[in-house]
Amino acid sequence: MCLLCSQMFGEIHWSERQLDPVRVSYGSDETSRRQERHARIRLLRKVLAQYGLEVGDDWSATSYIVGNRKGDERLAASMGELWQVAEQMAGKPLDPLDESLLERLRNIDSNE
Amino acid sequence: MRRHGRRAITVLSGFLGSGKTTLLRRYLEKQARGDIYVIINEYGAVGIDHHLARMVEDQSILLQGGCVCCGRREELVGALRDLLDQEQGYDGAMRQVVIETSGLADPVPVMFSLMTDPMLRHQFDVPLVVVTLAAIDAEVQLRRFEGVRKQIIAADRVVITKSDLTTLQEVARCRVAIRALNPTARIIVSRFGEAFGVLARDERQEDRRRWETVLPDPTGLPQPHASVRSTSLMFDRPLDWTAFGVWLSMLLQVHGPNVLRLKGLLNIGVAGPVVMNVAQHVVHPPEHLPAWPSGEHRSNLVFITRMIDPQRIAYSLETFQYAAGRSDLHMVRLG
Repeated sequence: MCLLCSQMFGEIHWSERQLDPVRVSYGSDETSRRQERHARIRLLRKVLAQYGLEVGDDWSATSYIVGNRKGDERLAASMGELWQVAEQMAGKPLDPLDESLLERLRNIDSNE
Repeated sequence: MRRHGRRAITVLSGFLGSGKTTLLRRYLEKQARGDIYVIINEYGAVGIDHHLARMVEDQSILLQGGCVCCGRREELVGALRDLLDQEQGYDGAMRQVVIETSGLADPVPVMFSLMTDPMLRHQFDVPLVVVTLAAIDAEVQLRRFEGVRKQIIAADRVVITKSDLTTLQEVARCRVAIRALNPTARIIVSRFGEAFGVLARDERQEDRRRWETVLPDPTGLPQPHASVRSTSLMFDRPLDWTAFGVWLSMLLQVHGPNVLRLKGLLNIGVAGPVVMNVAQHVVHPPEHLPAWPSGEHRSNLVFITRMIDPQRIAYSLETFQYAAGRSDLHMVRLG
């Protein structure tokens, strides 16, 4: 737990783990962590739009906030949790092999 | 045999009578110091194999009355914690633990138990999975028993045993059958447990293990089972690591039980490759190597899937990369 903000830190999901542990332990990699996180959220927005969902960062950029069009919002602490939360809010499995999702991803500007 | 301060751990699986204990006994005989601990899991009330491994009796724990993978995982976790406690009062550090599973066990839940335990995962390294397969009736076993296929798919190394009891052609057929099921495993042929060194994880072997993910071309190999398919993908340009993580975590959320294995080296546009190793829902922490093992700096990925068309996986992965701005990425499917 962070003593300053009282935030509980759980297990870091493998996909969010910085690959160079030395740089991370000295805290010099915060900028790159934020950049990666920003890129991740940009891609997640494209994917979750298919299911009528939105995603953003919480204030500390450690958790994700998943929302739907009704204004419901739920917090996910990691990528692993995010898919579970999104699946519950969408009411169906989020399948990356789904052809309509892939068609959508192919048809949007990849630089958006 | 510690790496990053973590003790080595080897999961030894193989069908009943495939020579697990012979291999283990030969391995233990050659150890000068008693710093290798053994956990034996047996089906049935009497653990016969335990008596064969009597020489390590003082340092072995027998899990009786059930399979490691069916509700006994807590016992396995407990046994490993007990060993760590014992180590405190023992003259010398524990170097390695070998878990010999019952012949019917699937190694994946064993790995899952080890890697999700908040204490054990800091004390033990990523498990090395060694599977024995008797050459003499390998093809029949692979065809008939899903448990045997699961073991082979989960294996880092497969030891073909009892090769002295059959012909060279039979051994060659056995090798092809293993390769078809798991193109990433290293295959070793053994007689009378002579290949016991395969249970060790020394650094050189560890390097080999990483190298093993540089893949052979599985084109032309027979598909081992109607629902199980393996495919090998290669990318000519660096992958976007963030997009790969988004894609794979989403894939495993829905299709985890049917992604039997994913193994490979990824070029993510930095100095060395990232080693990926996934067995169903168990994702080994991706490891960033400082340098490539060879001159080829291309991403290589092998997927072993059940009930999923590998072509769909390949297209999906490519599409997620495209959506993340890697429209220049060209993928080659090898088989």
